[in-house]
Amino acid sequence: MRDLYPSGFDSFILPFMIGMTFVLCWCGIGAVRVIAELDREDRKKFFLSFLNPKILGKNIRDWFCDCLFHVKLWKRNKLLGYMHSSIAFGWFMIIVIGHIEVFIYTPERIHRMWYPIFFRYFVAVTESTMKGSFFFFLMDFFLLMILSGIILAMVKRVRSRLFGMRRTTRASLTDLIGLYALWSIFPLRLLAEGFTADISGGSFLTKSLNMVLHSFMSDSMNALPVWWAYSIALGVFMCILPFSRYMHIPAEILLIPLRNAGIKLKHEDKGVARAELYSCPSCGVCIDTCPLSAVPANSRDATVYLNRQLKRHNEKRIDQISEKCMLCGKCSVVCPVGVEGDKIRIAHRSRKKYSIAHDYSLIDEGKFIGNMTEKRRVLYFMGCMTALTPAIRKAVTAIMDKAGEDYTIMDGDGGICCGRPMLVAGRKDAAMEMIEKNTKIIKSSGASVLLVNCPICYKIFKENYSLEGIEILHHTEFIDRLVSEGRIAIDRSETKYVYHDPCELGRGCGIYDQPRNVVAAAGTLVEADVNGKESICCGGSIGSLSLGFDKRKALTENALKHLTCGSPDAIVTACPLCKTTFNRYSDRPVADIAEVTAERLI
Amino acid sequence: MMNIFGFRLSASSAIDMDKVDRTLFDKLCAEEPDARRCMSCGSCSATCPAGEFTGMSVRKVLHNLQRGKEREALKMVSSCMLCGKCNMVCPRGINTRHLILSVCRIYKTEESR
Amino acid sequence: MNEIVVIIGGGIAGMEAAAQLLKLGHSPIIIEKSDRLGGHVGKWNMLFPDLTPAKKVVDELADSCRDANIFLNTEISSLNRLKDRYNLMLSNGISISTKYILFATGFNMFPAQKKEEYGYGIYDHVVTNADLEHWMNGNADKRMDTSGMKTIGFVHCVGSRDEKARNPQCSKVCCITAIKQAIELKNMYPDAQIYCFYMDLRLFGKKFEDFYTKAQRDHGIHFIRGRVSEVSEAMDGRLVVKAEDTLIGKPLKVSVDLLVLMAGMACNPDSEKIASQIALPIDTDGFLKSSDNIIHITSSAKKGVFYAGACTGPKTVPETLAEARSAALDIHTAIIKER
Repeated sequence: MRDLYPSGFDSFILPFMIGMTFVLCWCGIGAVRVIAELDREDRKKFFLSFLNPKILGKNIRDWFCDCLFHVKLWKRNKLLGYMHSSIAFGWFMIIVIGHIEVFIYTPERIHRMWYPIFFRYFVAVTESTMKGSFFFFLMDFFLLMILSGIILAMVKRVRSRLFGMRRTTRASLTDLIGLYALWSIFPLRLLAEGFTADISGGSFLTKSLNMVLHSFMSDSMNALPVWWAYSIALGVFMCILPFSRYMHIPAEILLIPLRNAGIKLKHEDKGVARAELYSCPSCGVCIDTCPLSAVPANSRDATVYLNRQLKRHNEKRIDQISEKCMLCGKCSVVCPVGVEGDKIRIAHRSRKKYSIAHDYSLIDEGKFIGNMTEKRRVLYFMGCMTALTPAIRKAVTAIMDKAGEDYTIMDGDGGICCGRPMLVAGRKDAAMEMIEKNTKIIKSSGASVLLVNCPICYKIFKENYSLEGIEILHHTEFIDRLVSEGRIAIDRSETKYVYHDPCELGRGCGIYDQPRNVVAAAGTLVEADVNGKESICCGGSIGSLSLGFDKRKALTENALKHLTCGSPDAIVTACPLCKTTFNRYSDRPVADIAEVTAERLI
Repeated sequence: MMNIFGFRLSASSAIDMDKVDRTLFDKLCAEEPDARRCMSCGSCSATCPAGEFTGMSVRKVLHNLQRGKEREALKMVSSCMLCGKCNMVCPRGINTRHLILSVCRIYKTEESR
Repeated sequence: MNEIVVIIGGGIAGMEAAAQLLKLGHSPIIIEKSDRLGGHVGKWNMLFPDLTPAKKVVDELADSCRDANIFLNTEISSLNRLKDRYNLMLSNGISISTKYILFATGFNMFPAQKKEEYGYGIYDHVVTNADLEHWMNGNADKRMDTSGMKTIGFVHCVGSRDEKARNPQCSKVCCITAIKQAIELKNMYPDAQIYCFYMDLRLFGKKFEDFYTKAQRDHGIHFIRGRVSEVSEAMDGRLVVKAEDTLIGKPLKVSVDLLVLMAGMACNPDSEKIASQIALPIDTDGFLKSSDNIIHITSSAKKGVFYAGACTGPKTVPETLAEARSAALDIHTAIIKER
């Protein structure tokens, strides 16, 4: 290989260079801004995380798996995964190999940013070596890979169902410009390299194209306009990138180490929230997955549209979307880049100003402390909702009686709310006061186990209470443990049960196996067509602030439809709210896991 | 205040519907139209965990607001823990949690005014 | 020539309509899914407001329609329309072709266990109004602990006027039934304190108001304006009922030995199932839809199909009987017109 032009420059590279400079500056400033917005402690944590080999290793793995191979999308749908990873990984490899070529053949040009991109224009092949044709082959191979991805992307625009997506995002104008620029980059590159392949060398793709082109166009000067077009397409793509969905490409690179460093989303639009916002690829995976989307009009309230409104600063819509969401957390689980739709919404709720402040001075925790004079091993906190589902309370106490457990009920005759409903409404100060009061009661009881049967309470006890020395157990864990320790035995029946994962217990606290063990001990466990991490919210969630009763019916019916597709005899859940909600519209019995257990105790 | 025959009559204890300013309540109903559907069954008040201590009652809040007795209503509303029990028991399906949050946003106490 | 009229449902509406049609010279066929005539009233003990024995009413009606063709334990397998005739296929294998059908399919009792917070089926001493009548008819019920009946609670509107329970309408008869049952229990246990928890007392019928004042003055029954929100079980097994006394504006609780739930009237899904086969419209409350609610309350949207009684909404016994007579007359008029 040798340089064709002594200057190593041609004016056609200018669009690319302008775009590249712009995008690098933009992203650089953006990254600095995000890091600057973190509070001091988080910033320190972030920088130190790079010195931790374990986190660094995880970063590198995530960069490859998430940004280049899109492993999460592969799991969702093979075609969708291939489409994304072929473009991302193929492009990455072309850039890497381009640099290697420059490094090997024209090392003195390595500082020229455009060289690896337009290498085939600036060099001529001098001898054919094995090494040379190896690189030529690789370049053509990865170009073909990208082109196949682009063709799939075009197909996806018209037939998204093939890719496992019923609904996709409606593209904004900048997204469309970016999209067309992206689509044109690689065919143009193929054409440009095809024109010059007789001089600069090429492989199966470019060389063959070269022959075809030269059969009717002999003048190699035709190449220049195509190189210009290629450069312009790159330039346009990079200039539009910060304003389009493609911003997710650089933003995700920053989000991964932020997440791995364990930095939590604290502010509604600064720091992590900003990194997540720009990492949203607008892919629309969250639209189909959102339980609200069971009503087509609601699909405009999916996380992808929240992100779009956030970018546009459309306060009215941001408010509406944040208040409507049931906070089931499903979009966060399925999001290929890890945008935490639920946390962003809670953060936005916390920004709202309330002119009437909370005042809990009259709510006297002393009354409850006074009620518990004797020290017991287990303190059973029913939670507010369980007062309205006495069957659950009765079943839990029956199980404890049978196991000979030493227990007392903390809120048998009224109690103080755990604080979670207030917390998710974004009023953290008020929630903290309730946490403080309940903590006093729990600590004064002297119990060593806090048993709860409501996943909403369970989550806040686990996450926001500091109860050192007290084990917090959800009743599904508790029953599972009693069974495995042989303290209770369940008489297995032939009943077919389907288990519904409550949002706060499954996605919220990661408890999937224990309830299934218990249900499987009581009868035959069948699974819903979507379960576990992707279980559909019952529609009764306290997470939503604005969703009225009449608007929830369709959501519950949709969840029931998915739950009952294995035609179970009964539905089992582990949350008083899910139970009440399902019971309203279900055509078959709905019971809490404790009831199912208590019924079949031997 | 008047002192007649040993009975003290406070001018504010009677409701004068002619003088009730409905602007804020109308605004509240725009946010949560179901606010007008309350039939005063009292389920919300009976189930309220705060009510036992503070007399909080969504039913009373709504009625006081409609009758122009804002001070009484707002004092009650500040002790709400937003637990959602009232939401569950309401036979009319009123979204009480959203209603309370809207009251907290739309109305102002005398001190904060 | 006698005209065949198929009456679906052998409750009081079906029986009364059959009796009237017989008198007018037609041939009614009653199709009843259970093993006896009388429907819900047949299971009742006494009827308000004069404490008339329900058995007497049902027996009299059964006697007057005994010449009708009656199929017990029979359901309708299919119903379809062919020009101006309806073809019914019955579960006993018989098929009937008729020009006239009368729906007297009635209502279902609201399943009280759906209001879990009241503890029906969970606590030992919670019964429904129907259970109480059943017990008063001399059937044993272990939930009725007659030795310690010191305090009794009545919960009105269980599954009535309740959108959450998907039964938004007023069931009309529960207020007066609660007063009747409260008086009956008070007569049995004169020392018991009886509390009626109501939202609104809707006492519209003849002598209903008298019954109410009698309950207050002569029997000392306490009326508390507040809907029960939750019921829990105390250590001693008594039930703690929580409500708000909305007239005072304070939360209230009382311990009771027996809690009677006034389960309301809900639509009968079976009538919807049959009606849907000939595309009869269903109203928003789930009951069958009359062609209008004032003058054509017994007419349906389809020619030859008529309604009587609680299949179009909650009704009292006299209202149901009046409607049955009116439907019989409407059918008779239609038959005459056709000839």
